[in-house]
Amino acid sequence: MTDLTTVTARRRTTAGGPPRVAQQRRGLPHLGAVAALTPFALFLAVFLLWPMAAVVWHAITPNGVLGTSGLVRAVSGPYRSAFVNSFVLSGASAVIGGVIGLVLALVVRDLRRPAWIAPATDAFSSVASQLGGVPLAFAFIATIGTQGLLTKALSAVGIDVRSVFSLSSLAGITLVYLYFQIPMMYLVVAPAVGGLRRSWREASELLGAGPVRYWLTIAGPILAPSVLGGMVLLFINAFSAYATAYVLSSSTSLVPLQIRFVLQGNVITGEQDLGYALVTWTVVLMGVGLVVMQLLQRRAARWTAA
Amino acid sequence: MTGRLGRSGRWVFLVLLGLYFLVPQLAMARFAFQNVPVVLLGPDTFFSKWSFDALGQALAEPALWQATGVSAVLAVLTVALTLVLLVPPTIYVEVRAPRLRPWLSAATLVPWVIPPIALVVGVAATFRAVAPGFLASTASLVPFYAVWALPFTYRALDAGLRAINARTLVEAATSLGSSTAGAVVRVLLPNLTASLVAAGGLTTALVLGEFAFASLLLKQTLPTYLVDFQRSQARAGMALALAVMVLTALALAAVVRLLRRRGLGTTTLGL
Amino acid sequence: MSDLMTAPATTTAGVELIGVRKTFGSTVALEHLDLRIEPGELVCLLGPSGCGKTTALRLLAGFEQPDAGTITIGGKDITTVPPRRRGFGMVFQDYSLFPHLTARANIAYGLRVRRTDAATITRTVDELLEVTRLAEHADKFPHQLSGGQKQRVALARAIATRPGLLLLDEPLSALDAQVREHLRDEIRRIQRELGVTTVLVTHDQGEAMAIADRVAVMNTGRMEQIATPRELYRRPATAFVAGFVGTVNRVRARRGPDGSWWVLGVPVEVVGDLAATDAADDRLAVVRPEQVEVSPAPAGARVVALSFLGAVTRLTLDHPDEGPLLADVLSESSDALRVGEHVQVAVRPGAGAVVLA
Repeated sequence: MTDLTTVTARRRTTAGGPPRVAQQRRGLPHLGAVAALTPFALFLAVFLLWPMAAVVWHAITPNGVLGTSGLVRAVSGPYRSAFVNSFVLSGASAVIGGVIGLVLALVVRDLRRPAWIAPATDAFSSVASQLGGVPLAFAFIATIGTQGLLTKALSAVGIDVRSVFSLSSLAGITLVYLYFQIPMMYLVVAPAVGGLRRSWREASELLGAGPVRYWLTIAGPILAPSVLGGMVLLFINAFSAYATAYVLSSSTSLVPLQIRFVLQGNVITGEQDLGYALVTWTVVLMGVGLVVMQLLQRRAARWTAA
Repeated sequence: MTGRLGRSGRWVFLVLLGLYFLVPQLAMARFAFQNVPVVLLGPDTFFSKWSFDALGQALAEPALWQATGVSAVLAVLTVALTLVLLVPPTIYVEVRAPRLRPWLSAATLVPWVIPPIALVVGVAATFRAVAPGFLASTASLVPFYAVWALPFTYRALDAGLRAINARTLVEAATSLGSSTAGAVVRVLLPNLTASLVAAGGLTTALVLGEFAFASLLLKQTLPTYLVDFQRSQARAGMALALAVMVLTALALAAVVRLLRRRGLGTTTLGL
Repeated sequence: MSDLMTAPATTTAGVELIGVRKTFGSTVALEHLDLRIEPGELVCLLGPSGCGKTTALRLLAGFEQPDAGTITIGGKDITTVPPRRRGFGMVFQDYSLFPHLTARANIAYGLRVRRTDAATITRTVDELLEVTRLAEHADKFPHQLSGGQKQRVALARAIATRPGLLLLDEPLSALDAQVREHLRDEIRRIQRELGVTTVLVTHDQGEAMAIADRVAVMNTGRMEQIATPRELYRRPATAFVAGFVGTVNRVRARRGPDGSWWVLGVPVEVVGDLAATDAADDRLAVVRPEQVEVSPAPAGARVVALSFLGAVTRLTLDHPDEGPLLADVLSESSDALRVGEHVQVAVRPGAGAVVLA
């Protein structure tokens, strides 16, 4: 299909051929575009936009009437605590994972020797950031669950983990999420950390700044957009994670688990609309997060290019 | 600042972090391959009763192979569908309409913010009413898995096209008398194999790990089977989960290696 | 205008490197450098990449420590003083502007660090923006500035704190030709007005010759010669210097019976590495194109190409004994010459010394 567009382009520049043919061909460049873009656009429309639009529509028309009662109900009562819990879990794992991931990137950059450390960390992070789901939950159950190896080892030295910590608590889920959050943060900030130029440090040094001032006034602000953007990304990632939380504690009140609850108990009328409202809130939240993250990353990219 | 203390401090940090990543895997392996309950574990029993029985037991289940087969078929179909959907627009935008690139990039990012659990609600609200038969088939998962594979696939393809300077290549080929379609088939696609394989690898890992959608639509895939199986047979389930995790990690490592060898600046994030 | 530019130029102190040596692992970056820079002087370190000029600059800034030797400013030893206590200014090759700060904030950075009061900062920065013609770009970020503008901000930032020594690391290399020439003159003007002792590192001999009070030519970790641009060009100490600061021909030199040296059939005054020549009677000499004189002749060197450069025309000749030769002749006297014609070649009388290699 696309070869026709070249022919047309050539025709246009040489302005040759009878006018009727030229006219006919002038319409054709769109054909290549249509052929290439339409299936993709249709696919998105049917399998992504239509379902999501339907959800949003149902959410703002509870019981068939336009109104906000569904959306309001989804963030009040027992569902409010689901949002609070999800916020705490996502926020904690984003901040803790973000800080550790950032420190990891700084440490790896500063340790020039051995030479394999940076590529190895890159590769490991690429793999570990995608390891989640069911097997990861099992691994932590075997480690620090009630029958876990580490639980047993710690009790042997007199520390009773079970009395202070449970994998099905928010702290427990956070601990498990860090397994993919830390590597993900590393992947996001390592380029920014690597982009800190030596000459920035030298320039500030020669202008009289000590190490603390350099970090507070130069390196910190330069890294800030990447670090914040990374944390927003981790927040989105944790908020929408389902499988790990489901295996660890299907009864904890988290937004994705609540959605499932509502979805499966859909015999009761009205509960459907509640589910739609929960999903709408989640998607809006994630969308805002993505936009914020993109803005922060654009700023970071502009700075590193300057 | 960067004295001996700083250096050893950095190593302590790396070792502790390494333990965090390693210990769960080791604990999982012990649980799976040592037939000693953790309460009885002690110095005297630490080396006894190690065996791969549990894994053998798990592998002997016919249901496992059925679920694995389903997941494998889903993965293959999903890879095929994403490539068929994405390769033409990505090449078209790169070669003919670079001004559309931000739009394509944004469109492929949208799935990033739609959690599977959210989409499944939407799917239930729409398809269930319009085409009730559609969701009954296991293959109905394919288009939705393809939706989540879009970010990875697009980024891998885009990086590949940029790395080979696709636009200039096509212009060079057409100036030598080739048609644009011929240039795409004979020049671009052979140079894109690494990107295509990497995108396929990532998509496969995604499909083999996806739980929410399959579970809520009551389909028996590898991840949903894992959860059910572990409930009935704890040790064998653990062995199977470990095997799945190790195989996934190896597949991802192969993808990462491929991307790095070709100098393609993409990560496995799909961002 | 206030104290910064209008105050009489108070020349800053002189700088001295004594017996400085620096190695990186097994690579010797600087073998042994003795260099004295007079107060208020602008010295260029000139040489090919890897000659040690950047290392010398980084030692002066304090980013590297010498293995041996001392560095003094105004007679005071600063060898071990950390960069931030040296009070020097530097313009980096990549400008190294802080990307998250406006031009104004970049320039003010050093003053802020010194806890200068706000009024003085504003006054000084405004003045510098004026001097560097950046007033309208004051509130732009580095990514919104052109290369030349970034370079000016970098210069303003470096001189805002009235540094005792100004270091410029290839400050013009990233700019295109026209901007480069203009900024070169700007740097020179500002440097003179401030009277700040300055060291500029470059690999561009044209830049060095145009801007410097003295040029130090460096090669493989050693300084070959330090002299004014004119002297460097007219009386280069070595063939390397002659070759680096202009175009040269390599021709044979023979010793006559009376001990004088003959080049292209003419007795000439020679300079250069004479000690090593005592033994030999047959050596190589370097002759500049403008030292070569041509006159029409039926035989001799053949004209291969003519390129008109304005006032002079450069001839590419094929000499029967010496091979290819370049000669610059006044254009009006070469108008009649055609490719393929033959000319007689000699060293022009009074054209200055010839360097023995």
